[in-house]
Amino acid sequence: MITKRILVVDDEPGVTRNLKLNLESGGGYDVFAENHATNALTAARIFRPDLILLDVMMPGFDGGDVAARLRSDPLLRDTPIIFLTALVSNEETDGHEMLSGAETFLAKPVDIGELKKTVEDHIRR
Amino acid sequence: MPVIAGLLLGLVAAVGWIDYSTGLELSVSLLYLIPIALGTWVAGRSMGNLIAIVSAGVWLGADFLERHSYGHCFLPVWNTLTLAISFLVVVALLASLREANEGLEQTVARRTKALQAENAERRRTESELLHTLDDVRQTHAELKRTQFQLIEAAKTESVGRLAAGVAHEVKNPLMTLSLGADYFLHREAENPDEAQLIQDMKEAVRRASNVINVLLDYARPRPLQRTTEDIHSVIENSLALVRHRLNRQHVIVVRQFDMTLPPLLLDRTRIEQVFVNLFVNAIQAMASGGTITVRTFASTQRASGGDSPAGVIIEVDDTGGGIIPENADKVFEPFFTTKPAGEGTGLGLAIVRRIVEIHGGSVRLSNRKEGGARVTLRFNTEAKEQP
Repeated sequence: MITKRILVVDDEPGVTRNLKLNLESGGGYDVFAENHATNALTAARIFRPDLILLDVMMPGFDGGDVAARLRSDPLLRDTPIIFLTALVSNEETDGHEMLSGAETFLAKPVDIGELKKTVEDHIRR
Repeated sequence: MPVIAGLLLGLVAAVGWIDYSTGLELSVSLLYLIPIALGTWVAGRSMGNLIAIVSAGVWLGADFLERHSYGHCFLPVWNTLTLAISFLVVVALLASLREANEGLEQTVARRTKALQAENAERRRTESELLHTLDDVRQTHAELKRTQFQLIEAAKTESVGRLAAGVAHEVKNPLMTLSLGADYFLHREAENPDEAQLIQDMKEAVRRASNVINVLLDYARPRPLQRTTEDIHSVIENSLALVRHRLNRQHVIVVRQFDMTLPPLLLDRTRIEQVFVNLFVNAIQAMASGGTITVRTFASTQRASGGDSPAGVIIEVDDTGGGIIPENADKVFEPFFTTKPAGEGTGLGLAIVRRIVEIHGGSVRLSNRKEGGARVTLRFNTEAKEQP
């Protein structure tokens, strides 16, 4: 089984730690957690993830800014990004792709089952 | 005028004949005052003077014809002159009286006219005042409405900021808790109590998260996506969404639908949310079972002001405990709840009002005479979206 790499960018260490634990516990994923948005691009260049879980609201440099930088990098522009946001309700996201750029948003607190399913769907694409 | 003059001169001639035939002279001369007075009163000073001079002449003529003998030849002339002067004085007095009377009448007429004009002016001013009063009342009502909207908008803005802050600050720790619980849930639990404990934690996270989602929904209403809908189909769908709760609490639903109602331009999902919130409230108000009656009919009575367009009324009645009258308005305010802690977010009816109002409709809560509460929704047939 090929292990897929996931980069998690969220300013809450509790969130990144728990995401890493949950995703890695089932096997199949290698998770790198980054709590500073400004380091996200460097982390992505080094780690070369298959997918990025990106928090929207972070101090200073938000998820949108990070995504824009990732998209402008030739090596990372095709890496799927799943945004995690506290500012929408589950009904608003409901697994649908929202906003321009066909990004996927998941409402916090995410259900781990739904998160794993969405991650699998995106990596398979 | 010549007719009057002719008649009066005839009268003078008649008196002259009486004077001549009776020979009573001065005693009869008073009768000349009749045509003189009549002439003066009816035709004025000039006519009076004419009749007076003619009368004096006739008197002198009658005197000559009777051939009276006077001690002095100048005496008849003197008598005639005295009589003529007396007659002219009477004419002058009567004419003055007549003119004064005419003046008085004119003054009265002028004053009456002025008064009438004043009254008309007063009525016009009064009507203008009433009109202005109406305008002021209308402006006042408009001002109150605007003020209310401003307060609501300010509230919404504050709630929006608060919601965003709360959502960010609470959902992140909730996510940590939820993921932690998920991690333990997927491991072998040491005993059933531990598994239950973790489930309880998940449920607590779900409830807290739900409150914040409702708050977010309330604080940031999405634009309406209207389609033409049969209101009964929307109601039926909403009832289907709460069917489980209805059955669990033994609540019967009675439908009194006017199937001839026109379709309405609605955001179906949002209006379903309205009915779900209303039905859930009604179910919660009837802990030991009861009846929900949903009634629809066309609005025939016009709202105050008389300019409300045609509409559709939907009444949702329950057989619960009703509402304390002083709370009837407050229940639509955000975070007002009469439910025990943990059973309501205090946003259910606030969301109902928000959604109904952006559809251009209105909502009211009242107590029914038979007991229980009634929520009355009104939607205009010609729907207009409110800002």
